[in-house]
Amino acid sequence: MVRRAPRRRKAKAKERTRPPLPPKPRDPNMPPFKDEHILLIAPGSQMTLAQLGLPESFTPARFRFPTRMFPAEKKGEFEPYKVRQRQREFKVSDVTNASTEAPKEAQAPTETPKEDVEMKDSAENGVAAAQGGEPTGDSAEKTDKPEGENATEGEEKTVQEFYYEEDVTSEEGAVYPIENGRIVDWPCFFALLTHIYNSLSPPFHTPILLVAQPVWSARDRETITQFIFEKFKVPGFSMMDAALAAAYGFGVQTATVVDVGKGKVDVTAITDYAVNEHGRGIALEGCGGDAMTDRLVELLGSKGFSREMCEQLKRSNIAEILPPGTTVPGTAATARQGADPAAGAEGDKAAPGGPGAGAQTGGEGNGEEEEGVLDVAAIVSGDTNEYLANMEKEKGNKKGGVDPKQPRLPNSKKEKASFQFEEFVPMEGENTTGGPQRYTRHSREIEVGVERFLLATPRQKVGDRLTNGILEDIATQIHHTILAVPDATKRSELWDSLIIVGCGSRVRGFVQSLLGVITQKFILSPSATIFTSEIPSAFTTPLPTGGTNTPAPMGQPPGPMYHPAAHGVNPLLVAATHNNPGMPIAPGTPGMDPSIPTHHRSTGHSQTPTSVKTLRLPEYFPDFKDQGNTNAPGTTTGHTAATSGHGSEEGAFLGAQMGAKVFFVLDQGVTKGYMSRVEYNESGPSAIHEYSL
Amino acid sequence: MNPSNPPQTAEYGGDEVSAIVLDPGYSTTRAGFAGEDAPKSLIPSYYGKYNADGQEKLVFGDDVFVTPRPGLSIHNPIGKDGIVEDWDMAEKVWEYSFTSRLTGAKPGNPFHNGLNDIPSEELPTEMEVESEEKPLADSPLLMTEPGWNPAKAREKTIEIAMEKWGTPAFYLARNGVLAAFASGKASALVIDIGASNISITPVHDGMILKRGVQHSPLGGDYISSQIRALFKKNSPQPITITPHYLISSKTAVEAGQEPQAKYKTFPADKAPDASYRALLEERTLSEFKECVVQVWPGPNKLSAAGPNGVPNEESARSSPGRPFEFPDGYNQMFGVDRFRVVESLFDAKAAIPDPESIFPAPTPAQTLPELIKASLGGVDVDIRPHLLGNVVVTGASSLLYGFTDRLSQELMAQFPGPRVRVSAPGNTAERRFGSWIGGSILASLGTFHQMWISKKEYDEHGANIVEKRCK
Repeated sequence: MVRRAPRRRKAKAKERTRPPLPPKPRDPNMPPFKDEHILLIAPGSQMTLAQLGLPESFTPARFRFPTRMFPAEKKGEFEPYKVRQRQREFKVSDVTNASTEAPKEAQAPTETPKEDVEMKDSAENGVAAAQGGEPTGDSAEKTDKPEGENATEGEEKTVQEFYYEEDVTSEEGAVYPIENGRIVDWPCFFALLTHIYNSLSPPFHTPILLVAQPVWSARDRETITQFIFEKFKVPGFSMMDAALAAAYGFGVQTATVVDVGKGKVDVTAITDYAVNEHGRGIALEGCGGDAMTDRLVELLGSKGFSREMCEQLKRSNIAEILPPGTTVPGTAATARQGADPAAGAEGDKAAPGGPGAGAQTGGEGNGEEEEGVLDVAAIVSGDTNEYLANMEKEKGNKKGGVDPKQPRLPNSKKEKASFQFEEFVPMEGENTTGGPQRYTRHSREIEVGVERFLLATPRQKVGDRLTNGILEDIATQIHHTILAVPDATKRSELWDSLIIVGCGSRVRGFVQSLLGVITQKFILSPSATIFTSEIPSAFTTPLPTGGTNTPAPMGQPPGPMYHPAAHGVNPLLVAATHNNPGMPIAPGTPGMDPSIPTHHRSTGHSQTPTSVKTLRLPEYFPDFKDQGNTNAPGTTTGHTAATSGHGSEEGAFLGAQMGAKVFFVLDQGVTKGYMSRVEYNESGPSAIHEYSL
Repeated sequence: MNPSNPPQTAEYGGDEVSAIVLDPGYSTTRAGFAGEDAPKSLIPSYYGKYNADGQEKLVFGDDVFVTPRPGLSIHNPIGKDGIVEDWDMAEKVWEYSFTSRLTGAKPGNPFHNGLNDIPSEELPTEMEVESEEKPLADSPLLMTEPGWNPAKAREKTIEIAMEKWGTPAFYLARNGVLAAFASGKASALVIDIGASNISITPVHDGMILKRGVQHSPLGGDYISSQIRALFKKNSPQPITITPHYLISSKTAVEAGQEPQAKYKTFPADKAPDASYRALLEERTLSEFKECVVQVWPGPNKLSAAGPNGVPNEESARSSPGRPFEFPDGYNQMFGVDRFRVVESLFDAKAAIPDPESIFPAPTPAQTLPELIKASLGGVDVDIRPHLLGNVVVTGASSLLYGFTDRLSQELMAQFPGPRVRVSAPGNTAERRFGSWIGGSILASLGTFHQMWISKKEYDEHGANIVEKRCK
């Protein structure tokens, strides 16, 4: 027991007045907040997920905002879209012409106020807009010309006029406030939060739950708390650690959460709903999805692949990480992870298919490629998903028996495979001015060789890491993190409850290969565990403290797939020394899980891991299709940034919804899951640490 | 108190707002906010150094354990006796410990973040000053030190805190005293089993009794060296520890069989330094300590006979062995040997000889019972029984299985008269972070407010004020 003086963290809030009312509602049965009045925000380096209100059955986030802003005219202010200043000149006498054109331009931005947001329920609108865009597209004017060039007719009687136009497709000059989870640009980050808040425009009495990145320091969290309370005047605010949210989402109280992001990976051990800060792998750089793209660029760049192509290749369902020891088709060698980089990783991947001749140039040659003109607004506003998916389907049908030579081989056996590369090409031949620029979506097939299996192999150029690629880095970090958990009896359970979230983990075969690497490097042989030695007995132990050397009670029988051959182990003995073999961990609302009383022992346990397993998302959330972990062919529907289904890789957002439900609605503030405005006024932002989870 | 009035500054001491407690040790450095029950930030005191692209790069934090880098060498700014040797690097390691998780990196100058291109002549000068804001400009800092820290080191510490970090208030406390506070005692005999040192600190009414402070190098690292000595003599074959980073895959083998693993090799110019390998071997050794090593619980030494006449070694042998698997897949049962590696903490003669070890064979005076005896010999006779009634055990190496049982047996054998009571928290975190927790309690006490050395006082009196104020 630690005795200590009561905490009295009074922030610099001396001048704040104290509202006289206690925070609790007067009617004990009435929840302080309503389901539909809760705002959830989960910022990430690439996408920020947001949702207003909790649906009856939890769904993936309804809004996705790109985590970027554009510097506005005024310094220190930001706009959600690229704003270009344009200058045009027209004759003063030509009043009618000007007045007819002006409304057209003004129309463009107002027409689609949330172009940038992907909305689930706007799919219909998106399609409509996309189709509606076609006829106008013909008459549309291209504006992308340098200013002044179109000053053709103005000599003496022209008036110069500046106007502003939002270019919703441009990323030029974009500021990404979050890099590798860290907030690198605070004004921009706050501008983004404000933009999201205003876009969703929650009603007055709406608390906010923010999913916090593990890398945020205590001071960062205080800063955010202060901003949220003072800018949005929220009645309540909760900050939930992303890893903990994932555990909530998966309905377990003890888990190892591996979050594979864009540029980083976080590895967190959670025991009994508590985050283990010590030994936590925070923002491991160079391990995320970008690292895989970089590797593809390295492999394929010389063959004319652009970064965007590699990115789409990574997302396609032909890119796959093969489990260690699997033979790459067409070569005699095995996949590279787990082997010696010095022996020449470049060596055997050199039997490349390479893209078919001319596949990546001259893409316009193919007949089906010209998909038609899309209105930019419709494309970016997201739910073109359905639309795209339909097109995808059609294409798939057309291509049914395209390749008779390689009939129905699994992807991992094929030496070459091709994927649909899609890009937006500015419309040619329309050099008129004014109006938003139109793009066509081109799609063409690109053939790739065995490089597509090598995205997790170590890069050649990055000289300061000696590991065999990102999977080994992640596996080592998991080992380190679990070993750092002080409660040794929990370690075995931690190994058996890996939660792998984050979009980077959607790459086909990622999870299986990660488990393969862990098995190769860390799983203990059965003879090193207790089973081949004497039957554990507390009676023969000459210890007055009552310690035993039985294995950790959490141990579960070895996994069917990932345990090495269990030679020499009596299965009955295994069954006898383990609890409830095969009993699934009941996924449920947190707190409903059966909590097993554990005796905390510092030593006297056996080594871990004897097995390693991943958890699956509870199945009663049908909207979270279990995509990330299965990677069945065909699940990766879209090739653009907007894919329709979001599976278990967004389990953290599901958990955030559960957390919000529990903290804001169900338990009425008993668990101190959120900080109320009253408490903020009283204690200041630093008190968030007492509430944040 | 009228709740509608803001509290007066004096009532809660405005400066106790988010005081930071920094507890640097030889093996790990702990940092966190006062008032919390565990340090938020726990980093190794070791740091890595390597060259990339012609530049020297430093690696702090857990990353040194995870990512091997070309030519990486491992260093520790703190000497074997727990006193800082390399002040420049100590400052960097400590700074990392609180900036990484607590205060965050220094905010970048808004004029340099690429957003605001202002011609250089328009840069307002006062913004320049502000941009050099020190990392601890708004947090008071409580630091800990070993009881035998020399005056020079103490002055250097306050100098760094005040001048480099810009803390508004500072205090330096002995870690022994703080560990006693963590157990809720103002008077105690604190036995701290650390990585590089074991120390005995008598504390009376919150004051350290300097003449009674004893320390010796038989800490966790010494136990590691004993384990290595044991591995060398192991039969059927000596065991070599190959850390995980040198192994690409392993195959399960039967106990005692040759390991079958695929090893990694690095080109000579890229291979990490031997110090890196040693650090990672230490990781495996600490797992070994957790899983296998056991302290003979007593009564009597391992080499002596038990109360019923059976030699203790025999009893130890009859207890079931414990298996351990090494990173390369080699695994083996460890029987009575697992008691031997720690026996020399209590019995110098039981040490496993190893001429290659950097630790000389322990002398009897370095063992725990002798240290305790010497420590009590250095304090007033009147308070000895009081101290023995409040023995506080702290330090991560004290978590060795059976350690506290043996310690109480030894104490009872040595001091049969007085009532001996050993208090050792069962919670791992409280044992490992005893002195940090004590610091957390101390710094959050309202009455501690007057103890801080303020920046003003430091400016007035200079660094040696720490000698007068932090006794």
